Amino acid sequence: MAISIQIDHVSREYGPVKALDDVSIDIKAGEFFTLLGSSGCGKSSLLKLIGGFDRQTSGRVCFDGKDVGDLPANQRPVNTVFQNLALFPHMSVAQNVGYGLRLKGLSGSRLQVKIDDALDLVELTGFGARDVNLLSGGQRQRVALARALVMEPGILLLDEPLTGLDERLRQQMRDEFGRLHKRTGATFILVTHNQDEALSLSDRMAVMHKGRIEQMDVPARFFETPANAFVARFVGIDTLLHPQAVLVSGNHGAATIAGQTVQVRIAGPADPAASVVAIRPDRLFLAPPNTDAALRLCVSGTTFRGLHRDLRLAFGDGQTLMIAIDADMDIGELAIGQEVAIGLKPDAAVLISR
Amino acid sequence: MTRPRLPISSMLMTPPLLAILALGLAPLAIVVIWSFWSWDPLTYWIKPDLSLAGYAGILEAGRWTVIVSTLVKAFATAFLCLLIAYPTAYAIHFLAGRRLSILLLALITIPFFTSYLIRSFSWRLVLGRTGVINTLLLDLGITQEPLDWLLFSNFAVVVGLIASYLPFATFPLLLSMRRVDPTLLAAAQDLGAGFWKCLTTVLLPLTLSGIFAGFLFVFVMVVGSSTEVQMLGGAGASIVSVMINDVMRVANYPLAFAISTIVLAVIFGLVLIGNRLFGLASLFEDRSP
Repeated sequence: MAISIQIDHVSREYGPVKALDDVSIDIKAGEFFTLLGSSGCGKSSLLKLIGGFDRQTSGRVCFDGKDVGDLPANQRPVNTVFQNLALFPHMSVAQNVGYGLRLKGLSGSRLQVKIDDALDLVELTGFGARDVNLLSGGQRQRVALARALVMEPGILLLDEPLTGLDERLRQQMRDEFGRLHKRTGATFILVTHNQDEALSLSDRMAVMHKGRIEQMDVPARFFETPANAFVARFVGIDTLLHPQAVLVSGNHGAATIAGQTVQVRIAGPADPAASVVAIRPDRLFLAPPNTDAALRLCVSGTTFRGLHRDLRLAFGDGQTLMIAIDADMDIGELAIGQEVAIGLKPDAAVLISR
Repeated sequence: MTRPRLPISSMLMTPPLLAILALGLAPLAIVVIWSFWSWDPLTYWIKPDLSLAGYAGILEAGRWTVIVSTLVKAFATAFLCLLIAYPTAYAIHFLAGRRLSILLLALITIPFFTSYLIRSFSWRLVLGRTGVINTLLLDLGITQEPLDWLLFSNFAVVVGLIASYLPFATFPLLLSMRRVDPTLLAAAQDLGAGFWKCLTTVLLPLTLSGIFAGFLFVFVMVVGSSTEVQMLGGAGASIVSVMINDVMRVANYPLAFAISTIVLAVIFGLVLIGNRLFGLASLFEDRSP
């Protein structure tokens, strides 16, 4: 049965360092929730508290509304896939997968059936007798998943489980997580620094920074309305421009950047000193030179990126903006220093707090 | 076209190999060979003719009982050392913080700076009729008269041996525990294991090589020890090295070497069994990924 989690004003201090600073999250039963952040942001500390491997300095952690502060890790309905997988090197695949069930007192054919089912689930049928030390990275990953899932946990914690896998395997295992989440119906909590994983898997996600939650939302909202410049940068909106002035009318307005006006949606303070204009790269386009409502910018460089080409453009005051253009476009027309017109699709720019 | 390359590596290997052969293997070979020579009690002369007189001498004068009691003492001491050292190593590695673990390691090591003689003698002051323990027991009214078996007994000898050789069990255990990834213990816990299950199903199996190495080190040290028995043992208490010393006084090298050979064989046997069962060699492997 999936279990809901309530993190209630939780802080975790290590001496003067606040790994977690007054964090509150409500995770619904059966949700796929992702904690996203760079290393040291506190996401793993939070995971340890949920798993029972550490204790908060203040606040409460509850499962289905009941405080689990006094429940040690071995009595929590939680299982973890550790970052380094932590497979027992002195046991076979089947012994690893059956470890938790044997502790529960299962043995004989009932144990064997469960182990086989779990191996089937992660597509490792027939691997039971293998030595875990001789498996490939992806296979080890699956054993770790099977070992956790065979316990039928209400909550599954995934602590950066895809780190160290190559790109193809990453995508494969990522899809596997999605499939297993649907199959098991358990509450999944993924900790990662990789926004691709977070975006493609999560029902909701939280971006963390310095022990605090910067934003908690469904993935699409992070692009529509990032809470601040940090979140915008973290999800890949790299163009953040400082406005000279902001004119507000309702929830829309106009920001002046290096003398040029950009229509923006207002989602932050109207004070130009406290806000930035975030521009989504996918809503910019190269406009014909005589378009009216376009930005006039100078080409300052291009970078070949394989399937597309990044075009870096500068405002008069030196602030830059990045747009993606076709890789096979004739860049002879885009000599450095040349002026181009850039059109903005609706809702391309949003004013957010700095 | 490939020319046979100059075997640089084997050239580099030669000097250390020669050193090991000359310093280690050669004396052992002499011990084994001389144990089969004969000794004339009248002239104290050793003759290089094949004889089993040395080995026959072991069966005389109760010498074999000394060997057996030495091995029993060594087993007991090594076992007790492990019982004490395992929790110690566990505490140092898993429980103590950085500062405390360094302090504990220092406390274990510092007694090594004094000689075995002084350390054994200090146990007399603790275990004697008027020693610390007896005085305490009398003062507390637990006993009416001093306990005699505390000193000059096998008990005292084993206490002295444990005190002397405990670090030889602690350090290999510590070494083997350092090689255990702590997330493995977290994983066991995560899957429902309490402290004892964690210990018996994960930590003990993964530290077997350290357990055996610690056992072997203490065992070997005890078999070669003499001070503790001489200082703390009762009248007539003996141990292999004391007995060998006595035999050497009359220059009966074949007998002395025969005793040594038997002890060597036992120790070599233990090493081989240990390596087969517990993977002793793995303790010294570099398993870093």
